[in-house]
This record gives sequence, C-alpha cells and structure tokens, in this order.
Amino acid sequence: MAVEIFKEKNRSAVLEVVLGATREQGGTRTHTITVGGDSALPFYHFEGEIPNRPVVAMEVQDIVPEWNNALIKHFADVIDKPGLWAKKCVEEYGADLVYLKLDGAHPDGANRSVSECVQTVQEVLASVGVPLIVVGCEEADKDKELMEAVAEAAAGENLLLGCAETDNYKSLTAVCMVHKHNIIARSPLDINMCKQLNILISEMNLPLHKIVIDPSIGGLGYGIEYAYSILERARIGALQGDKMLSMPVIATVGYEAWRTKEATASTQEFPEWGDQEERGILWEATTASALLQAGVHILLMRHPKAVALVKKQIDQLMVSNKY
Amino acid sequence: MEICSVTFLPDNVTVKTEPGITIAGAARLAGIELKMPCGGEGSCGKCVVRLTKKGTTEELLACQTIVYEDIFVEVPQNVRLGEHQILLAETEQNFQTKYDFEPLCQKVAVRLSPPSLYENASDWTRLSCELSKAVGGKEVVPSLPVLQKMAHLLRKSDWHVSALLVAQNGFYELIDLQPGMATETIYGLAIDIGTTTIVIYLVDLVSGKVLGKAGTYNKQAAYGDDIITRIIHCQSPKGLKQLHDAVIDSITELTEQLLATSQVVGSKVYVITVAGNTTMIHLFLGMDPKFIRLDPYIPTAAQFPIVKGKELGLETTPEACVYCLPAVGSYVGGDIVAGVLSTGMNWADNLTLFIDIGTNGEIVLGNKEWLISCACSAGPAFEGSGITCGMRAMQGAIERVEINPVNFEVRYQTIEGTPPAGICGSGLIDCIAKLHRVGLIDRAGRFCELDKPVERLRKTDEGKEFVLAWDWETALGKDITLTEGDIQNLIRAKGAIFAGIQCLLKTVQLDFSSLERIYIAGGFGNYLNIADAIEIGLLPDLPHHLYRFVGNTSVRGAYLSLISQTALNAATEIGKKLTYLELSAGNNFMEEFISALFLPHTNLELFPNVKSTTVVRGGNSD
Repeated sequence: MAVEIFKEKNRSAVLEVVLGATREQGGTRTHTITVGGDSALPFYHFEGEIPNRPVVAMEVQDIVPEWNNALIKHFADVIDKPGLWAKKCVEEYGADLVYLKLDGAHPDGANRSVSECVQTVQEVLASVGVPLIVVGCEEADKDKELMEAVAEAAAGENLLLGCAETDNYKSLTAVCMVHKHNIIARSPLDINMCKQLNILISEMNLPLHKIVIDPSIGGLGYGIEYAYSILERARIGALQGDKMLSMPVIATVGYEAWRTKEATASTQEFPEWGDQEERGILWEATTASALLQAGVHILLMRHPKAVALVKKQIDQLMVSNKY
Repeated sequence: MEICSVTFLPDNVTVKTEPGITIAGAARLAGIELKMPCGGEGSCGKCVVRLTKKGTTEELLACQTIVYEDIFVEVPQNVRLGEHQILLAETEQNFQTKYDFEPLCQKVAVRLSPPSLYENASDWTRLSCELSKAVGGKEVVPSLPVLQKMAHLLRKSDWHVSALLVAQNGFYELIDLQPGMATETIYGLAIDIGTTTIVIYLVDLVSGKVLGKAGTYNKQAAYGDDIITRIIHCQSPKGLKQLHDAVIDSITELTEQLLATSQVVGSKVYVITVAGNTTMIHLFLGMDPKFIRLDPYIPTAAQFPIVKGKELGLETTPEACVYCLPAVGSYVGGDIVAGVLSTGMNWADNLTLFIDIGTNGEIVLGNKEWLISCACSAGPAFEGSGITCGMRAMQGAIERVEINPVNFEVRYQTIEGTPPAGICGSGLIDCIAKLHRVGLIDRAGRFCELDKPVERLRKTDEGKEFVLAWDWETALGKDITLTEGDIQNLIRAKGAIFAGIQCLLKTVQLDFSSLERIYIAGGFGNYLNIADAIEIGLLPDLPHHLYRFVGNTSVRGAYLSLISQTALNAATEIGKKLTYLELSAGNNFMEEFISALFLPHTNLELFPNVKSTTVVRGGNSD
C-alpha cells in the first residue's frame, strides 16, 4: 500500500501584479512582467502553483552614488549616465527590471529639480524596454511633488512607484490612481503595520492588484531572520485568504547587503576574511537567496555577479518538485 | 524675616507666608486647589494664573513662580480643581448578593449568671463564654480598656450587658461594654480611594442601610494626575508624607461632611473598609510605593493588617478598625477585587469579562472555576489628560459630537449644557468615531486630504487639527480643537485596553464569542457609549445586551465587606485565587497592541458589525 504524503491545501493565493505596459496597452515597454500568483509556500511546487518566477531589478541612480568601489567599477563607464547605466544592467547583466532611485532630488544633497529628475526617468524609459521601478529621495515634501510629476510624465507606463508609508501614503496613492501606476507600500518590519497600510491604500480605492509590499528587510547577519519570519507570516496569511496580506513582495537587497561591514571592509583590514569584492558578492547573493525562500518576488540588487548567482538559483528553484 | 501676603482673586483670600514659597504652595495654604496634572513639574502648563503687582499683569505658572513680595493672584476657573462628575453609586444592578448580613461590628446583648463561691470562674471567662455562643463559637478577645471597667460595669448592670464586637482575622475583639440593652446604633464607613476621586458610604450596621454617600477629589491630584507621577513624588523629601496626608485629609473632610449631614458622632463609627488600587492603599497606609513602579514591579504587601484609625491619622474616627481589601498584584488592586466581589463573577457559571476603564485599564476574565486578570496602561487620555483641549467629565465638557458628512459642520452636547470648556473621554471617543465615519480621518487616525478646504480642518506647526468649537462659542474664548496627536493618544489608549482583553483571552485560548457577560466598571465607563466604543475598537464587537455598566464597584465591594464577614472572606479568597498575567513579561501584548492601533482594528474581521466607511474622493479606479 502506497504511503499517502500529506499535503497542505491552501485556500487562496498571492495576488498577481503586472508591471509595465506595451504599446498596445498604452505604454512603451517591449514586454510586461507579472509577479506573484503563488498558491503555495515559496517553491513548494508540490502543494500549489508558482506561476511566475521571482525577478531581479538592478539599481540605477540619477546621480553618481557613493557606493563601494567593488560595485562602482562594474559601471564605471556609465555611472553618470542613468540611461546608459540602465541599458548596461539590462543588456549585459541580465536585469529583469530597472530600479531607478532618484536620490539626487534630496534637498540636502544634490537637490536636483523635479524637471531634471523627470528627464532622467524619461531617459531611462527611452534606453531600455523593461518595466521600471521608480522611487523618490526619502524627503517627504520633495517626494510628493517629484512623484506626482514622474507619475504624470510616465502616464500609461504602468510603473511601480515608491514608497508609501503609514503616515505618508495619501498623495502617492492618489497619483498612482490618477495615472494608473502601481505602488510600493513600505512598513517597518511589522506585520500589523504592513497590513494596516494595505488597508489604508485600498480604502482610497487603489485596487489590490496595484500594490507591492516592502515589509523592510535586514541584510544577512543584520536581522534577516526577523525579516524572514515577517515574510513567512505574510505568505501564510495570503494563502489563508487574508487579502490584505496577499500582495507580492519587494526587497531592497543590494542596499542592505552593501551597508554591512562584512561586504565593505577592505581586504587589508581583515585579511583572514578573504577578498573584499568576493565577500560583498556573496553577502548580497546570500541575503537574496534567503529572502527568495521567504517569498520575495522582486529583488532590488546591485552587483552584477550577485545578480548572476541569484538568477541561476531562481532557475533551479523554479524546477518543479511536484510529486 | 519678611512676610509676604498673597491675595487670591476672585476669592479675596489672603495668606501670609514666608518668601520662597511657590504660588501653588500659597494657594494650597489658602485652601484653593489648582490643577497640576504634571505634579508641579512645570511641564503641563495647566496652572496658569494672572499675577498683578504694581499695576502690571502677567500670566505665569503657579507651580514655578516664587513669591518674594506682596502680590495679587487671579485664579481662573479652568485652573481650579472643579467639581466634576463623581460616580457615587454603583449602578443599580440585580446583583444577587449571596452574602449573609453579618457586619464587621456587632452589638450582642447577654445576660450572665452571677458568680458564687461554687461558681467561681472569672468575670471574663463568664462573659466570653456567653459572647462566644452568640457569635457562632468564635473566640472573643477583650481589649484592655474594657477589662479595666468590666468588674464594676457587670455588677452595676446586674449582669445584663451589651457587648460591641469587632471581627478580626478569625476571632472577635470586644471593644466596648455597655449596661443593659444599649440601643444606640453603630456605624461603619465603606471607602473607595480612587486615583482621581474618593467616595465614602456611611452605613448603619444594625440595618445594613446606606445612610449617606459622598464623593470628592483625591487631594493627591496636586502632586500629579496619575499614579506614576505620584510614586515619583514619593521619592522627594517628605513626598510620601505629603501624599499620605493628602489622602487622609480628603477622607477626613468627606467623613466630617457625611457625619454632619447624618448627625452621627465619629466615635460611633467602629469599622471602616477601604478598597483602592495597590498604590493608593500603600499611600493610605504610609508605605513607600517606589518599587511598584520599578521592574519587576513588586508591592510591599498585597494583604493588609487591620489597623486603628488613629494610627493613620483619621482623627474623626480614631478608634475605628480599618480593613483594606486585599490586592492581587502591583497593578491589580483591592478595587478590582471589590469589583469581582460585587459583580459576583467569582461564583458565576457564565464566562464573564470585567473591565475597569481608566488611566489604567484593569481586566478580569473568568467564572466560578477560575479568574485571571491583567492591567494595561491606557494613559490618561480617557480622563481628558494629555489631550490639547481635554478635561474631565465635568460641567462644560463636550460629551457628544455630531459631524455633518457633507459640510463637516459640528453639533455637540456638553455636560449640563453650559458653553463648552473642553472635551472629556466619552466625547473624545464619540468624536473619533464620527470623524472616521464622515471620512475626515483614515483608519490610522490621520486627517485625510480633502478635495476642497474645510474651514474646521486647519494646519498648524504641530500638524493638522480639527475645530470642534469656535472661540466665540466656548467658555474660555479659545477654539476647542482636536489635533492629530490627540487622536493618536486616544488610539493608543483604546489599543492598550483592547490588546489587554485580547491577551487575556488568548492566554486561556478563548475568543470573544465565548464571552457571555461583560461588566464595564469605573467612573469613565458609566458615561461611555457602547456603539462608539465598539466602532473605534475599544471594546469587542459583541451584541450590546451582553454589556452592563456597573459603575463604582469598588465602593460597592467595600460596602459588601462591611456588612458581611463572608464577603470580606470571599474578597480575601478572590485576592488569593485571581491569577495575575504580567503583560510586560514575554507574551504577545506588543503585537496585539500594534494591531489594535487602527480603527477599529487591523483585523477588520474582528469587527464584522462596524461598517466600512470608505469615502470616495474622486480618483478613478480601474
């Protein structure tokens, strides 16, 4: 008599979010990308469907970022030209999407004007065919104005715009509704606040399938297990039918991994730790791979080699293990 | 040494004092109590008085201003500790009292057979045998003054005497002996010492009837509105004595007033029962409550000895025996034990939830089989403290609010219908429910972006605020507003209470649906509107008929213990059997709290009857 292996039956699934819009759909992208849709725990192909692969978006900035040299050297020829930088990410390094961070807009930093930033967005849109993620500079007043202009200039492109937070979500939600973009709902490592923000945004009538959640993460060794358990709770909630926890998840892997001492301390400083760039690559790739298995759908990454490693892992994880 | 005179207006009371005292101190000397929620730290700005000297007038904080010359001080009405609604009565409930009438002090008349050469037991042996028979065989112990007069009295009254017996732990003390059938009535007091208010019942111990009730402010309010501020005040030199004296003063004044109106002499009050939270009882007995505030939050004692009034400084009733109801822990005190006792939930079949809503929310869950309790700090928002225009439930407080959903115009109702002076807890809850209902605030309690400006919603340096009443219609000539910060305060307060309820239920693995009766106790609870409270997520979304307002159960529990020794013993039992759940010790309180910081709650399915109130404001959805 054959042993019957018990399988969990899930009532529900993660929502699907479509990013980008082709010419027929009113945009200019060569193709769209769909994330989410999972009806099982991450990569449990034997318990449900994992219809869409997780994707990697590579980070591009509108000004030359103060990054570690191990990163900069791979973009040295294009680091001051966001359009070409994005193109390189897609064509050479295989990025599924481009993640454009408009840090240059910050009033205490480069303080680039709204129109300059909008121009950068258009430049990137023109140079690549993949869907785009655009976030502001983290200064509430400037971002309000900035994201409104970006959303309007790129109307029809079905961008993913960020970031909405509990005490500052209304204007971004409104522009996403008016110009038909998707929104990143960011919460500070707290499942309840994550859910609250989703409720608040959806109560402004932005449809649920236009929301992607960023529950915040920690890099490897810096609270990643905390992020893991929150991601896990969100996924379980989604599978049990909690619509307000059912959105696909985005994670700022590159940013967190390249803040760690282990990724950036020089080889001279810690010879026993081995080569610094190799460490950084592994730190970013391992952070990404742990979070992939917690259920992240969009990984925001920086180092081309880490991206390659992670994409290879996604290929392996997407091989069906049904029985 | 020069002497300054400080004259308070409009009272026209002058006090002479040495320089160096604060105006607040001088006011206390003049018998004028000022509002000082922060305990005179100068941080709350509530004690602003007008100082006139040499023709100039300035506004200053009474607690921070030092007197060094003759001055005139005008104390505005809103700075005084006014009369406010003190809930004297327990709401008449058909609590079936299971306790026999067996007061703590009884008068027993006995006839003794005289001694002879053949029957030569001592006078006391003879008397104690008879007395013991009269009180069900319990031992009776004489007091020295009685022994001293006994021999003559027995013989003078021809061996027919009335004995006054006071119940002690397991025995009776004979405290007085009178000739013949003494017909004088004997009295007792039942006292509830609240952080904010003190309530006293005067009880006829022969009939068990309540002859009079009186309530007043706890004068400790001058040293801070909340328990924690007062505990901190104890650490200053003389602080403990000041707080002890303040509560004794309040009780003495109230007792005198009660005795005078009922024409009773203080010496005829033989027993006093006291219920109060653990800190209040510590201060009442003069014990330092310091460690109640510090981790791991340990009180000096939870069971208290029987003491004489004079030991505490109760000069009106020096010989009375004072019984304090036992506490459970640092933050679940004798007032809650009294509440459990008076609602009878300790012998109910039904699963009952008892909530005392105040600065500290104390919650008890259980039935005759088991009882578990916890306390959560809700903060003083429900008492109107820490709210920009908050006030206690007194004359002029806005208690109901209506907001027009189209033009956002406001209609309100104040206590006693006088012009509004501020907003009290029940008004706040109503106001937040209505603000959300008309779409002015979102579920996180933040003001929404509106398509067109609304006059009542305005921006300030501190953020946005909503005007409930314009300056020209208010008692103080200032706008009464509700700020985003106020709303957050209230959401935190309601979140704490709700999270406490959730934690308690989850600890015993039950949910709301298993609750068969909910008692809401406390002064604030009585003015609460259940529908509003559910709508903002303060109370579980359950059929309204399950809720019962029971009012001041603390004083009722004290009263029951006064007229029934069985009840007092039951209170002792409750104190021992009530499990205390420490919310700050590694369970899910924080998680529950965060999920309750939402209107009504993050898990909307917990509130199926609270309608979704999404207000569509333009924008197109696809």
